[in-house]
Formats: sequence, C-alpha cells, structure tokens
Amino acid sequence: MIALETVAPVIEWQSLSPVLIVLGGACLGVIWEGVLPRRLRNPFQIVTLLAAIIGALTMLTLNFLHASLATDAATSVDPKVGLLAVGTLCSDGPSMAAWFALLVFGGLALLIFGDRQLNQGASAFASAAATTPGSDEEQLADTIGREHTEVYALGLFSLAGMMVFVAANDLITMFIALEVMSLPLYLLAAIARRKRLLSQEAALKYFLLGAFASAFFLFGAALIYGYSGSFQWAGIDSAISGGSTSGVAVVTFGDGILITGVALLAVGLLFKMGAVPFQSWVPDVYTGSPTPVTGWMAVGVKIAAILGMMRVFYVALGGIRWTWQPVIAVVAVLTMVVGVIMALAQTNIKRLLAYSAVSHAGFILTAVVGTQFYVGAGQLNAIGSVMFYLIGYGFATIAGFAIIMMVRRGSAEAWDLDDWAGIGVKNPVVGVLFAIVLLSFAGIPLTAGFIGKWAVFTSAWTGGYWWLAVVGIAFSLVAAYLYLKVLIKMFFAPPAEGVRVAKASPFVWIPVIISTIATLILGLLPGPVMQWLSTLEIFIR
Amino acid sequence: MNPTLLAVVTLAAVLFCIGLVGVLIRRNALIIFMCVELMLNAANLLFVAFAWAHGGLDGQVAAFFVMVVAAAEVVVGLSIIVAVYRARRTTSVDVPDALRL
Amino acid sequence: MTETLEITPQLVGIILCGALAIIGGIGLITLRKAVHAALSLAFVMVNLAVIYALFDAALLAAAQVIVYTGAILMLFLFVIMLVGVDRTESHREPIRGLKPTAIVAGIGLCALIILGVGSALTATPVGLESANATWGGNVESLAVLIFQSYVFPFEYISALMIIAPVGAMVLAHGARLRPKRTQADRAAERIAAYAKSGAHPGPLPNAAVTALHDSIATPALLPDGSISAASVAEAMVERDAVVNTQWVAARTAERFAELNGEVEPAVVTPEPLELIDTDEERGALK
Repeated sequence: MIALETVAPVIEWQSLSPVLIVLGGACLGVIWEGVLPRRLRNPFQIVTLLAAIIGALTMLTLNFLHASLATDAATSVDPKVGLLAVGTLCSDGPSMAAWFALLVFGGLALLIFGDRQLNQGASAFASAAATTPGSDEEQLADTIGREHTEVYALGLFSLAGMMVFVAANDLITMFIALEVMSLPLYLLAAIARRKRLLSQEAALKYFLLGAFASAFFLFGAALIYGYSGSFQWAGIDSAISGGSTSGVAVVTFGDGILITGVALLAVGLLFKMGAVPFQSWVPDVYTGSPTPVTGWMAVGVKIAAILGMMRVFYVALGGIRWTWQPVIAVVAVLTMVVGVIMALAQTNIKRLLAYSAVSHAGFILTAVVGTQFYVGAGQLNAIGSVMFYLIGYGFATIAGFAIIMMVRRGSAEAWDLDDWAGIGVKNPVVGVLFAIVLLSFAGIPLTAGFIGKWAVFTSAWTGGYWWLAVVGIAFSLVAAYLYLKVLIKMFFAPPAEGVRVAKASPFVWIPVIISTIATLILGLLPGPVMQWLSTLEIFIR
Repeated sequence: MNPTLLAVVTLAAVLFCIGLVGVLIRRNALIIFMCVELMLNAANLLFVAFAWAHGGLDGQVAAFFVMVVAAAEVVVGLSIIVAVYRARRTTSVDVPDALRL
Repeated sequence: MTETLEITPQLVGIILCGALAIIGGIGLITLRKAVHAALSLAFVMVNLAVIYALFDAALLAAAQVIVYTGAILMLFLFVIMLVGVDRTESHREPIRGLKPTAIVAGIGLCALIILGVGSALTATPVGLESANATWGGNVESLAVLIFQSYVFPFEYISALMIIAPVGAMVLAHGARLRPKRTQADRAAERIAAYAKSGAHPGPLPNAAVTALHDSIATPALLPDGSISAASVAEAMVERDAVVNTQWVAARTAERFAELNGEVEPAVVTPEPLELIDTDEERGALK
C-alpha cells in the first residue's frame, strides 16, 4: 500500500469568500427549513438572504480594494488578482465587476421573493407545490397559510452558480457552475402560486431543453479537451497557438476537433442566453415562471451566460477568433431581428418582455464580436461595454418584472397588453416608473439603455464590424417603436375596466425604486461607472 | 490516423446523435430525458477516450464529475416530471398546451 | 497512409461493445414502452462501462455500472413504475414531417462530427500506463487529482447534492397539512358525538354466524328477531347481495328440529339462499 503523501492544496479563502458566503447563506437557509417552526422560517430566511448578500458584497469590496496584483503564486497574498483555488477560478477585473453586479441584482431580485402583500398575505409561490393543482389539499394548504420558504435558499444557490460561472477558469468548473445555476431555476420556475399548470409546463420545458443544451456544452467541452489535452483556458489557448501545454503531454490533433467542439460548446452557451436559434424556450419559460423568478433569471442568467461566453471565447479561443467572429455576428443579427419582430407581435406583456430580452441578447452579442483590446481613453472595450449594457439592462428588467407583479386584474397579474391601457393615468407613480424602464429598454437618451447601446455599437464598430453596428442601430429604432407603443397605450388609451395597481410591500418597492433611480443615474452620469469599468475590463489568462 | 480513437469518436458521435434524434422525435418526457442521458454518456465516452489519448487523467475526472451532475439533474428532472404527471395524468410533452417542444 | 492497421484486443472490444451500444441506443429511441427504453439505455451503459475499462478507467467503469446503471437508471425505472408501466405514447406527430427531418438532421450532424473530428485524429495516443502509475493505480491517481487540482469543483459540486433533495422535497413530498389524529383523539371524538347526537360510540355489530351461512353478506339478528342494518356494509345492500337472515334462521331451526328427532328428516336438497329483494326490506336495512 503506497501512502498518498500529498500536500494540501492552497485555497485563497479571502478571495473566494464572496462565493463561499453566498453558498453558506444558502446552506443556512436549508438548515432553517429543517429546524425552525414554520412561522419563524420566512423572517429567518430573509435575514439570512440579506446577511449573505451584504456580507459577500463587503468581502468583495475589501478584496477589490486590497487585491494583490502579483500574479506570481509565490509572492501573492490572499486577496489577489489571478488564479484561485488551484487554477479553477479566476479573480480578475471582469469577474469582480460581474460579482458586484450579480450580488446587487441578486439582492434586489431575491428581495422581491419576500413580498406578501400583492397576493393578500401570501407569497408569489405555491402554498404546497406537491399538491395537485385545483385539489382540496391545495385549498387546505392555502387556507392554513402554508408556504415554500426554500425559494430563498434556491435563489442563493443559483446566485452562487452564476458567480462561479463568470469566474470559472476551466471547462469542468464551468459545467458544474452551469448546473448549479440552472437546477434551482428549473425548480423555482415550477412553483408559481397562480396558473400552476402553466408554471409546471414551463419548468418541464426549461428543464428538458436546458439538459439538452448542457449535453451539447459537454460534448463540445469533451472535443475541446480532446484537441488541447487541457481544460484550463490557458492550456487550450497555448494548444491553439502551438505552445506547450502546462504539465500535459503534447498530443496535437488537427483543427477539425477544435472547430466542432467550439460549435457545440457555443450551442450550449447561446441556449442559456436565449440567442436565436435557441430562443424557443424563452417566451414560454419567462411567462410560466413566477414573476419574481422571471426577473431574476432574465437578469442573472443573461449576465452569467454572456460574461462566461466572453471569457471562453476571448481567453481560451481568442486564437481562432477569425473563425468564430462571423458566426457570432450572424447569430447576433438573427437574435436582434427575431427578438424585435416577435416582440412586436405579442399581446402579453410578459411574453413581450421575454422577446425583448432575446433582442437585448442580440444587441449585446454585437459587442462580443467587437474589439477586445484597449481602445483609447474614455472608451470601453468589448468587455466593458457589454458589462455596462448588462448593468443597465439588469436594473431595468428587475424594475419591469416587479411592476408587472403590481398591475392586477382581480387578484391575478394582468398580463394582457390591453389591460395595461391607462395604467399611467390610474397610478402616475407606477406609470412613470414603468416608462423609465421602457425608455431604457428602447435606448432613449438620458437612460442607461442609451449609453449601453452606444457602448456596444461603438465596440462593434471599432472592432471592424461596422455593418453589425448599423443593423443594431436600425433594429434598436424598430424596438424603440415597440416600447413607445406600449408607453402610449399606458398613458393615452382609455383606462381598462377592472384593472388596478395593487398595494405592494417594501419588498417590491425598494428594488423598483433603487432600480429605476439607478437606470436614470447611469443614463445621466455614466462617467464614473464607465471609468470604473474601464479599469476592470481585461481578462487574466 | 489511429483506428482505436477513430472507432471511439465514431461511436460517441453516433450515440450523441441517436440521443439528439430521440429528443426530437419522442413525445414522452421520460424517454426524452433518457435520450439526454445518452448524450451525456456519449460525452463521457469522449472524455475517457481523450484522457487515454493524452495520457492525463483530467478527462476521467471530468467524466466522474459529469456522473455526479447527472445524478443531481435526474433527481430534479424526475421530480418535475412527477409533478406534471400528478397534475395532468400524462408524461407526454404534447398535452401541455402552452408549449410545444 | 504508411502505418498499418493494427488490430489490438482493445480495438476489437471497442468495436464489439460499441456495436451493441448502438443497438441499445436505437432501441431507446424506437421502443414504444418506457420500460423497454430504460432497459435498452441500461444495456448501452453497461457496454460503455466495458469500453471505459478498456481505456484504463477502472474507477469510472465501476462507477458507470454502480452509479449510472445502478442508481440513476433505477430511479428512472422507479418513476416509470410510478406513472404507469403500460402507458405507451401517441404516434401523433405535432409537426408534420418532424420525424424524417429529425432523423436526417441527426445523421447529418453525426456525419459532420465524424468527418470533422475523424480526419483530425492524426497523433498517436499516449496511453495511461504512466499517468495511472504515478500514485500506484487508477483510483489513487484520480484521488490525488480530485483532491489537489480539482478540489474546488469537487467541494462546489456538493451544492448540487443539496439542491437536488431540496427540489425533490419541494415538488414531490407532500408535507402533512392536518395534525395527525391519535387513538385518544378518535376516542374523544366518538364520545363527543355520542353526547351530542347519540351516535353509538362502540364498534358496529358483526355479521351473523349461523349453521347455514356465515358470510359478511348475512346481517345479524337483534334479540327481537329483527335484522340489524348496522352489521352489513352499505355496499352490500346497494348491490343486492344481502342474505335474508330471518329465512336462514327459520331453515336452521327446521334442521335443528330434524336432528333432535322432532320431525321426520327430509331429503336434503341444496336450495338457493333467499336474498333480500323487495324495496321495503332493503329500505329497512339502510
């Protein structure tokens, strides 16, 4: 028997602490479900959620301020910029910025789970998801006030999945993070309080297509590993550029493996961000899921999928960018066209925002093919402009779906676009807030959406894809017509009968107000944030 | 061209595409899910074969993790399928009205 | 091509098990019943386990059989049993021409992958002898790799191990909605009902036991000779299966008298039991 005498691996605990705190909060949430009496669970869960988010943000800020720039493992001290946890994670500018964004959006979006006022004292989730919809048992569970407080823990798990996904430094970690991000969302999609059949169908569709997409991702990952003999970005990159891979015997195969692998991997990633032609799940899943969950998945998954994709394509596959750039450009055009045109045909506000989310993925993808290197003072490169776009999109989306929760016909959410007629007159505050959201989506000046669109199109233009920028501008004008149509209906159409803006608790109001104010500030004073992002826009290899 | 590798890559590609066709043509959610599992198995086969080709065990570690992930995914997926079955008394993906696969 | 095609035992094994796996895969997508599909998938997985073993992956071969075939697939079978084994799916195609299109697309993608990848497999494989020998064996070397290089993904994957049972509990476990009724609760309820409405708190009377008939379809007779409605199940009454005990009692009394010599024994012929059949009598039983 040979004794396995190995040294313990070095783990940078402080650099990893934001992820670990979020995971710890999620585990604590699961423990509360087991040990606390039912009436105490909800307050404990909300306190745990807030503590985890604030704790993680605090640690992240400390790490950000004190991170050692030494990339040499021997001299670097713990909060550091560089590879973490034996080279499976990467702490660099984009990952830190993405963690900030994900934690802030996670905090806002998961806070909305806590609302008990819009559903007359009940949450937006099923009282007992295991009961058959429409059964006596379900009625009884409603009457005695049962609720699923696991949703906070599941939300935190998905947040931890997204955080690792954007920072993953190898394909294995990325695949596991993809699943940690997705599985809680499949579950959360299935447990809406109202229209439960629709919700379960949405979850089934999301799950089957999501698992299908991860199979593509995995087959692509296997082929890329076959090509390079390494899972790490650096190893794949050096295999492409012909250098020796670290510690792995060099067995070089032809490019056919790599190209096939990249194509299949891209299918998996494009599916997650809802790009055409893998967008078919988006409208159904966004509509069927409980609205607070829709807001969270629309923001979180998009940030994670796009930044994760940029990391793979820039860091690992930068050497063959002449191969993938035209393909992604075509996908971007298709995504913009299909997203905008399908959104024009929708009569359901949730489906409309779902297709609008598809079109935003297209606008963002224009920058992904754009330039990825330093472009000059005061300008953002592709990573910075995508990040800015995502931050603007995230605030507007969270506010948008939260406001959809408030507009109700009877006790159910009014999804029909005709029901939204005259909402701005009935309740001017909500009307103005939703107008800000729509203007930002439309990319009207003085909102975050305008600066974001400006940044991504500039990036595409300077990257040599001027025709893509032109198509993008053209379709953002068509999209602007779409949002203005809704806006005009909200303020100038005769008010719809029987639709009201329900009283919401601070759990909804605080995220809505923070998000809309942030949308305006980012539109009026984008300078500081752009400045900050421009220092954070280089991926470390 | 190495015949062993060629044989195993062909096998993996065939199994992957059988799974793909199964996902597209079958209407029972359980069988669709099993077809996805077949696709994951095809990927695992590639990991193992390329680990052998490169003389490094990383591919086997990946296959090992994929098995763990698949186990978790199966639990979540089957509980969703059971929930849909309880409400609808069917596991067909056609009966749900709001969506078409 | 200068190198000669070398037929190794490994290659023979892969081709053999691979062919069987493909047959299993085709079974998975063609067999109508879900159980048969699951069993063909199990067949594929066992064949893949053999191939893993041929590629020096001893641990994975074992895990493939134990985890994949033994646990994951059995979970599938369990759910198939739960939702009904004899269920077959409809032949209806939701989109016309989906099947041929899907098959052509599948064959096309397969050809693309094989052409793209196959032509690129130019290098000679290294083999795993030295990698496996680093720490004394396949399992040991994998263990070192998992606990050194891949320690973060390994620990992180435990998040999935928590999410999965939580999700299964949320969607499939029905927590008790009413408090559990104990024996004491039931007794108190019965006495309360007796105090309130005079409902009998004790057990219901048994069915009658007579010399000629003792099935549960025979209602008991009360001391005054009338039939006790409470001694037979209501379903029996509704299905007209209740025997007229008074008639049975009369026959019993006759036989008893014969045996005591009080009357001449009659030739015993089996006669059909008289069922209660008039509405009036049935009404009395209800």
